[in-house]
Amino acid sequence: MITLELDDRYSRQVLFPGVGAEGQRRLAASSIAIVGCGATGSVLASLLARAGVGSIRIIDRDYVEPSNLQRQSLFDEVDAAESLPKAIAAVRKIAAFNSQIVVEPHVADLTPSNIVSLLEGTQVILDGTDNFETRYLINDFAVKNSLPWIYTAAVGSYGVTLNVLPGQTACLACVFPSSPKGALETCETAGILNSAVSLAASIAATEALKFLVGAVEHLRRTLLSFDVWQNDRAEIVADRPRPGCTACGRHEFPHLAGEGRPQITLCGRNSVQIHERSRPLDLAEMSERLRPHGTVRHSNFVLKFWREPYELTLFPDGRAIIKGTTDPAVARSLYARYIGT
Amino acid sequence: MTKIHIPTPLRQYTAKQADVQVKGGTVGDALSDLTARHPDLRRHLYTEEGKLRSFVNVYLNDDDVRYLQKEATAIKDGDNISIVPSIAGGRS
Repeated sequence: MITLELDDRYSRQVLFPGVGAEGQRRLAASSIAIVGCGATGSVLASLLARAGVGSIRIIDRDYVEPSNLQRQSLFDEVDAAESLPKAIAAVRKIAAFNSQIVVEPHVADLTPSNIVSLLEGTQVILDGTDNFETRYLINDFAVKNSLPWIYTAAVGSYGVTLNVLPGQTACLACVFPSSPKGALETCETAGILNSAVSLAASIAATEALKFLVGAVEHLRRTLLSFDVWQNDRAEIVADRPRPGCTACGRHEFPHLAGEGRPQITLCGRNSVQIHERSRPLDLAEMSERLRPHGTVRHSNFVLKFWREPYELTLFPDGRAIIKGTTDPAVARSLYARYIGT
Repeated sequence: MTKIHIPTPLRQYTAKQADVQVKGGTVGDALSDLTARHPDLRRHLYTEEGKLRSFVNVYLNDDDVRYLQKEATAIKDGDNISIVPSIAGGRS
């Protein structure tokens, strides 16, 4: 048992009647996962780590870039200069302000083949992703295992969040039976205000806190959306599963089975991600091999290789992000030429 | 008249209006009237085959119209319709 009396760290939070000493003990014994550590994930991880959630897994497939610094509050210029994987940078930052909790970095793309090992044993899953493919995967896993998860997203000055309590509330597939294809805006077209995403994530973190301390009666059962620029706010009732929902009604989990999942995905405006097979790589060795072909730089976590007009980022598990093309065939051929087939 | 609440990401297609007053006896009629007044909105709400896009949610007062009679759901004066788009965020 943690002796809270000896630790001033959480004293102001324990004074808050909704948490109290018992709530604080529950937080210390809690385990959560944050999937995606960009702007939303930074706020979720920062707030929940400071609040004293005992165990946090941070799963992210990407690395820090200068354009992230405007809103991704866990990262700094050094992280961007080193192209540090976000999960690694996040864990380092958190360790500097709360060394009394366990935070695990996972530099990985959440997929049907690794989702069980990455998410099992957690009590709440928080969504900091930037795509519906991963969200439907989380939804299938969470509904199948009766685990709560919280959807959060923001674009422009608009934010939205939904608590999914399987069997009790609507799930993601109840609310959005299929994912948007092309017609809607993304941050790369509409931009993003850091305050919009920060607010959405703060609300989601509060909901997670309520769940973890056992204040379930205060959990929001609506789809909440707001616009911080136009001062608009709307709540839509989501307090029951939709009859006939494929996921929470019929228990069909096509995303967990990997159906319709491409091995190569568009990733941002001008990048392609290749994750066709697990191919453990020695980045130092790869760096030597690539040196004659362009500019190369590596750390323990990531290798960057520039060959005009492309920029290839390689992770130790063999996953690569190729910038400079949106053509999967071009990306695949660059990968085959420089990394291997 | 029925009021349709437009979410801010779609207001660029409704001349920045947050609420649009429309006519019609059903949800489908109301949405047709909306897109007749603001034609640019049409491709964001409907597929090329004229079906309501599955990631666009339409609520009558507090209820998802999918729980009701979908676009055939009857509406009366003073009802509020809301459109809720799905948002990916980030790069998607």
